[in-house]
Amino acid sequence: MNIHCLQRAFSSASSSLVPLQLPSPMDTHFWYVLPEEVKSASLVNEYLGLLSPCERDNVLSMRGDQLKKSALLARVLVRTTIARYTNFQVDPKSLKFTKNRYGKPGVDWQTEDGWLPPSLHFNISHTSSLIACGVTVDSPIGIDVEEKSRRLNNHILAFARRYFSSCELEHLTVISDPEIQRQEFMKLWTLKEAYVKALGRGFSAAPFKTFTIRFKAPTRGNCLSTDKATEASEIIVESFGDPKNLTSNWQFALVELAGSHYAAICIERAKTIEGGNFSVPMKLTVRRTIPFVEDESVSENSVVAIGGQLCINDHIH
Amino acid sequence: MASVIGTSVSMSSLSSSFKPSLVLTSRTNLKSISFSINGKRFPVLRSLPGRLQVSCAAKPETVNKVCEIVKKQLALPDNSTVTGESKFAALGADSLDTVEIVMGLEEHFGISVEEDSAQSIATVQDAADLIEDLVAKKT
Repeated sequence: MNIHCLQRAFSSASSSLVPLQLPSPMDTHFWYVLPEEVKSASLVNEYLGLLSPCERDNVLSMRGDQLKKSALLARVLVRTTIARYTNFQVDPKSLKFTKNRYGKPGVDWQTEDGWLPPSLHFNISHTSSLIACGVTVDSPIGIDVEEKSRRLNNHILAFARRYFSSCELEHLTVISDPEIQRQEFMKLWTLKEAYVKALGRGFSAAPFKTFTIRFKAPTRGNCLSTDKATEASEIIVESFGDPKNLTSNWQFALVELAGSHYAAICIERAKTIEGGNFSVPMKLTVRRTIPFVEDESVSENSVVAIGGQLCINDHIH
Repeated sequence: MASVIGTSVSMSSLSSSFKPSLVLTSRTNLKSISFSINGKRFPVLRSLPGRLQVSCAAKPETVNKVCEIVKKQLALPDNSTVTGESKFAALGADSLDTVEIVMGLEEHFGISVEEDSAQSIATVQDAADLIEDLVAKKT
């Protein structure tokens, strides 16, 4: 199929996906969609048309309309997001996916002569109210989003005693305000999930109890761009039984999205950095989208950095 | 007592006063048959490709308890249909829900579930089978 056919196929959608340059190394692009903003039945039908038969069956097997919708949007977000970075070479419907032996999804590029697929990594996370997809180049990525207001059915400390490390349990135990304790719990949960998903070796490779996520006082980072930098605490992971230099390969960011969600992002540090003390902040670009309808770079109020050394970019080039 | 020899089943030493009832699970391909006599469970035949494997399917009471805990965690209405076949993901359980459900099951049944076992639970039946496995190992 030549490129002109693909361009026609693209513009038959209500509006085309603008092709984008790949993120540079250490850039993370973070896309999210809010199901409540997807209202049109014809749009939902268009979205269904993008899915593989297997994906469609899976969406329809979900119990209830809300779950069906978020399952649908998760697939749509992944497909349309990845397609953006292929410079019109691949349309969202034709993407094929595969899983590594631990179940982590990846793209199964169908390469034609002369075309090198981009070295993209991606990871999805969804709640009923927000679906997100993080994209990087050359770096494994894991993300997790949760509603800030989510409540556990179990008692927080009982849960932490059972599933978190003893350091994390201690961190939570000393918090006297129950609401703050709950929020700190959710932050830890999302960060731990993001880490395990970034590792991509299944949950048994890094059981939650065997590693600690904690916030460290900020070190003097060197933000390479003129965009807003944060002096937030560094987030680090320490793993029992793993040599320290392995866990220091992972970099975290924690943001609050749209005032309602925590989003944790974990990526592997670039291997070219020499010397242990120099740390490059993660450059994060956040976009709210309704695929084929609109993309919006989110305002400062919509993305608030909570932890990790990061620069939040205003625009994608 | 049903026993398995090769690919045939022989019902040896089964008292004539028992009337076994054959329970077929509703799957598209007949994969498991269980014998239930007076509410006691008996070995199950599962035909996996190339071989027969004997394992025990969970008691209905266990499955029902799992359904109850799942419904509560996911705040499903009482009249919603949750059965052994129900998939956690299809009911809307995310990873935090699954972990909370496992915690509830651990507390109720007095067992401890390994993290990788917990992650491999896809259906209510999986959870019930795992519980009974762990309970049996305990005693």
